[in-house]
Amino acid sequence: MKLFTKFLLIYLAVSVVVLGIGGIISYHIIKDEIDKELKFEFLDRIDRVTYLLEQGKTFAKFREIDQDENLVIVPLDTFKENNTQVSDTLIWDDRFEREEKNVKVSAFRNINDTTYFISTYGNMIESDDVREAVISILLWILGLQVLGAAGIGFVVSGPLFKPFRKTLKRIQNFQINEKQYLKAEPTNVKEFRDLNIFVEEMTKKAVSDFNNLKEFAENASHELQTPVAIAKGKLELLTETNLNEQQYSYVEKLETTLNKLSRLNDSLALLTKIENHEFSTNETVNISKIVKDGIDAFQELLSLNNLQLVTDISDSTILKIHPSLAEIMWSNLFRNAITHNIQNGEINISLNTDYLEISNTGKELKTEPFVLFERFKKGEQNSESIGLGLSIVKRIVDQNEMLISYTSEKNRHTIRISLKSVKTD
Amino acid sequence: MKILVIEDNRDLLENILTYLKREGYRCETAPDYDIAFNKIMSFTYDVILIDLMIPGGSGLQILRELKSARPQTGTIIISAKNSLDDKVTGLELGADDYLTKPFQLAELHARIKAVYRRNNLNGDAVVQVNEIAIHTKKMETRVNETLVDLTPKEYDLLLYFSSNKNHVLSKQTIAEHLWGDYVGHLDNLDFVYQHIKNLRKKLIQAGANDYIESIYSIGYKFNVNRRSP
Repeated sequence: MKLFTKFLLIYLAVSVVVLGIGGIISYHIIKDEIDKELKFEFLDRIDRVTYLLEQGKTFAKFREIDQDENLVIVPLDTFKENNTQVSDTLIWDDRFEREEKNVKVSAFRNINDTTYFISTYGNMIESDDVREAVISILLWILGLQVLGAAGIGFVVSGPLFKPFRKTLKRIQNFQINEKQYLKAEPTNVKEFRDLNIFVEEMTKKAVSDFNNLKEFAENASHELQTPVAIAKGKLELLTETNLNEQQYSYVEKLETTLNKLSRLNDSLALLTKIENHEFSTNETVNISKIVKDGIDAFQELLSLNNLQLVTDISDSTILKIHPSLAEIMWSNLFRNAITHNIQNGEINISLNTDYLEISNTGKELKTEPFVLFERFKKGEQNSESIGLGLSIVKRIVDQNEMLISYTSEKNRHTIRISLKSVKTD
Repeated sequence: MKILVIEDNRDLLENILTYLKREGYRCETAPDYDIAFNKIMSFTYDVILIDLMIPGGSGLQILRELKSARPQTGTIIISAKNSLDDKVTGLELGADDYLTKPFQLAELHARIKAVYRRNNLNGDAVVQVNEIAIHTKKMETRVNETLVDLTPKEYDLLLYFSSNKNHVLSKQTIAEHLWGDYVGHLDNLDFVYQHIKNLRKKLIQAGANDYIESIYSIGYKFNVNRRSP
């Protein structure tokens, strides 16, 4: 729902409630005022009659001045104190054929030793008329308010909110890896100016944090690689001395451990880089070639483990993805398929414009397949792998908005990546 | 061969110097930008190793200065940054090779030799190890004029051994040299053994001595003093 629509709805809801209550109040005030006027009018009439009686004028017992004016003047035999009573009374109305509420004023007056009962009643305007008038006025007001609100809304959502919409659009298009903060644009509305300044400060901070993080990841990687390089060099020099078999095997073990450490470091740095969107480019890449080159590179491993390779790879499938990422993704997948295979096993690869699928024979999984996408999760905890391969694949897939599925059935593992989001055609 | 090593880390420098001096190279060192700049301007070297991050300036700047003053010098960048940008910039500036830390000293040595061959001998060098002659331009191997039919990987392996004669090379080192990053994540390095077995067989068949010595079946050594039993 747009802000303007919401504003209009709230405004109308409030208006209806306010006008409703206002209508009831108006009705009562008007009605009371009319009744009050009527009462004064009747009291005045009684005073006039009293004056005329004092002057010696005589009246018929019941008389009608006109249709609506009823006046009763009755001389009484008994004595009553001077007294005036104002009351409401229901009188049959011929015209509406129902009883109508009327104002009635009755009074006892002692004039020349005779007590007169003087009474009159009537109503100037029927309640229905008052109600109708009030409702019609309110409806007019409501109608005008809707028009007014629509007009205000048009102005608000148009020129008045233009700076806001502009800022919103710039925030939507903000890309942290472009390293450009959003400079506040001048506007004469204080709130918008505050917003723009806030956005500027916030994006400035985001950009600087991003740079710091990037720098940290790179520096950490750099600082770690140098000591590893030193240790590796020392081990190499150590192998040149006369070592016995056991000593040499210790050195070898140390060397592989150091390699693992350095790989771990590389992989974590790579994950950070992917997460920092450092690879988002608009380059395209021939995934068919990458897949085929990868297969060639691993040929020896395939034959060593006596693995059967079945491929169905379409020619020159071009994808919109960073070349390095495509290469890393594929080599991770293919390497996994080899290392987690069994002797005399099988690998199936199919690639077309819709998906890339690799399935291999292997040991039955003890965990849920999707768990393996998490960092440091391995099928077998004691295996030599570092457990980041599939999480790197997952990151790359997520980054490019592709979909990945991992299904395992007994001893067959299948990973399928949908290429719809990176297709070019 | 005269080599300048521009590197600020003492321990790493010591490793490199120990390895290279044993090969009989004359090595000089420069721990920071100013010393490095003075040396490259004052003397000529066959190969210069440049660390990208050095105190007082950038290794890339050194490379720029060097390429404008002495463009024929061989250069190898050593960097802890596995960053594609740096690699591309370095190679565009005219570096001959780029090596990422942590590297094997044997690998560094093999690359120094390759750079030297390319720059000084027009790449047409013949690496002679006793009766084995490796023609690096034609990528041919002969034993006493008998042509040995080697696969590209076997040829590469032999050249690597010849660059690091009498050094112990672990399977891991050899695998990394031949297959690069691909091999990094593998536990089983038996395929190295397969290649070595084939190379050995082919060399012996062509009449060469059996120089490749297995060290406790963990590593190998190309022992040029070894004679076939």
